[in-house]
Amino acid sequence: MSATSLEWGAAGPIRRNAGFVGVLVLTVFWLLPLVILMMNAVKSPQEYLLTSGISLPQSFHLFENLARAWAKGLSSGFINSLIYGLVGSTAAVVLSALAAYGIVRLRIPRGLFWFLLIYSGTVFPFQMYLIPLFNMYLSTGMYDTRIGMIGFYVAITIPFCTFVMRGFFLTVPWQIQEAAALDGASSWTIFWRIMFPMARAPLILLVLIQFTWIWNDLLFGLVLTKSDEVRPIMVALVGMQGVYGATDGPSVIAATLIGSAPTLILFLALQRYFIRGLSLGVGAR
Amino acid sequence: MAASTPTSRFLQRVQPYLYVLPAAAFVGYFLLYPMIVTLWQSFTRYDGITDPVFIGFGNFRALFLDPHFLLSLRNTLIWTVAAVILPVTLGLALAIGINRLRWSGFFKSSIYLPATISAAAVGILYSFIFAFDNGVLNSALRAVGLNFLVSRWLFEAPLNTFAMIAAYTWQSTGLNLMLFLVGLQGLSPEPIEAAKLDGCTGFNLTRRIIVPMLMPFIVIATLLAVVNGFKVFDLIWVMTQGGPGRSSETLAVTMYREGFILFKQGYSAAIAVVISIAAIAFSYLYLRSVLDQESHV
Repeated sequence: MSATSLEWGAAGPIRRNAGFVGVLVLTVFWLLPLVILMMNAVKSPQEYLLTSGISLPQSFHLFENLARAWAKGLSSGFINSLIYGLVGSTAAVVLSALAAYGIVRLRIPRGLFWFLLIYSGTVFPFQMYLIPLFNMYLSTGMYDTRIGMIGFYVAITIPFCTFVMRGFFLTVPWQIQEAAALDGASSWTIFWRIMFPMARAPLILLVLIQFTWIWNDLLFGLVLTKSDEVRPIMVALVGMQGVYGATDGPSVIAATLIGSAPTLILFLALQRYFIRGLSLGVGAR
Repeated sequence: MAASTPTSRFLQRVQPYLYVLPAAAFVGYFLLYPMIVTLWQSFTRYDGITDPVFIGFGNFRALFLDPHFLLSLRNTLIWTVAAVILPVTLGLALAIGINRLRWSGFFKSSIYLPATISAAAVGILYSFIFAFDNGVLNSALRAVGLNFLVSRWLFEAPLNTFAMIAAYTWQSTGLNLMLFLVGLQGLSPEPIEAAKLDGCTGFNLTRRIIVPMLMPFIVIATLLAVVNGFKVFDLIWVMTQGGPGRSSETLAVTMYREGFILFKQGYSAAIAVVISIAAIAFSYLYLRSVLDQESHV
């Protein structure tokens, strides 16, 4: 038995099998809601209204349901959130890497103050800046604009990214930087040519985490947007539920599954990184 | 040497600021400035249109006489306690159970799956599960003859709060599971081996050796759960909007309703301050345990 093995359960085969069955049952129970909802996403609206919620679908209307959902407002939300997620998370990660580099590697005076200033953005609950933000967006014309949404998403994802990048830069050996500086490299060259490539793993991880956060946001989309052209995906989904939830359940369920697909696929494809990210700094917002 | 001329020394000195200021400016403009304004507004009567009027602690005094706020506070406490007990305990039990099983990768991913989708999506999906007429749950109850359990899950308080907590548990158990699996991987095997040699196995081993060794992770998961349970908004807004009436509101929902639907912005800001004080107290404890934990590893 290897030293790191976790096979501490010296229980006999019967108890181990009982445990296996128990966990299996719970897992099935966990996945069951999704499976049953997927069955309902396949039904036609009429069939959904007339049959029981757990009956097997008698027809296959998934693609019609999806097309209807897409036409009823999902498309703009989907595209908006794709833009917000990609632009917002990338910009936030780059700005955070720059800030962390300035704080840790260039030894900005009172570095801890600057770090805490940026990090304090993540300490307070969202409710603490909701109202003034809304008023500010109204008075500056940023309300209900894409650029306003991106600006906010960049700001809200910076604190956690800076926290992680600071941790990373603290672990990079100083000799590399000193050697490059002796060769006459500027701070920018050292950042762009040496540090940024070295930080590839945490940078990618952060883009993923923050893309997911932006994609999943509902609250700020509710407060800072109103039109179909600007609102993010989750606001679009919730709007659809309000309008069509009672009459066209299948298309709302199908839309929700589509709206969840990007983050789900990201997770399944990159599980290992996500789990490593957990140990990196628990509680990514 | 070039590095010693006054201009280049000046450049040397301002350089770090060029890297730090853009990020600091974003955070300052979009987050810190509004936060200070909220703090100020919490001491005013303000409808968002006419000028705010300073009323000292008037809003805070009014809060604790407001039945809506007190009910909301009670609901928030129910949420916080449930958010700690259900997902954390389930996550811990599953982590210990799954760790030594075959197919553990499949189990892990399945339980974590709901954590990858948004709270809003979970809210929508569970609205269909808890729907009255052909909701999944009621249909299942009718199918097995338990008609007396068929309920208006989302339209009766406090039943709807428990229904929403069930959805919340479904989503957040996975995060706790992963957290505890990370913790289990870091345990040193010697004490466990020693205990086994002494004849301590199964449930006793778990209770006496493994759970105590995981204690730092349990503390972290608990504090994280408190903070998250305290701030829950999306799920409630999607599933009941705090209704019927205002019976299932939590503080985050009450704050939103007062500020953006009733436009009592000063009052709403005061609720935000109350939420913040509680959240910060627990975040501080949380951060301290995380940092302690990191210094041990």
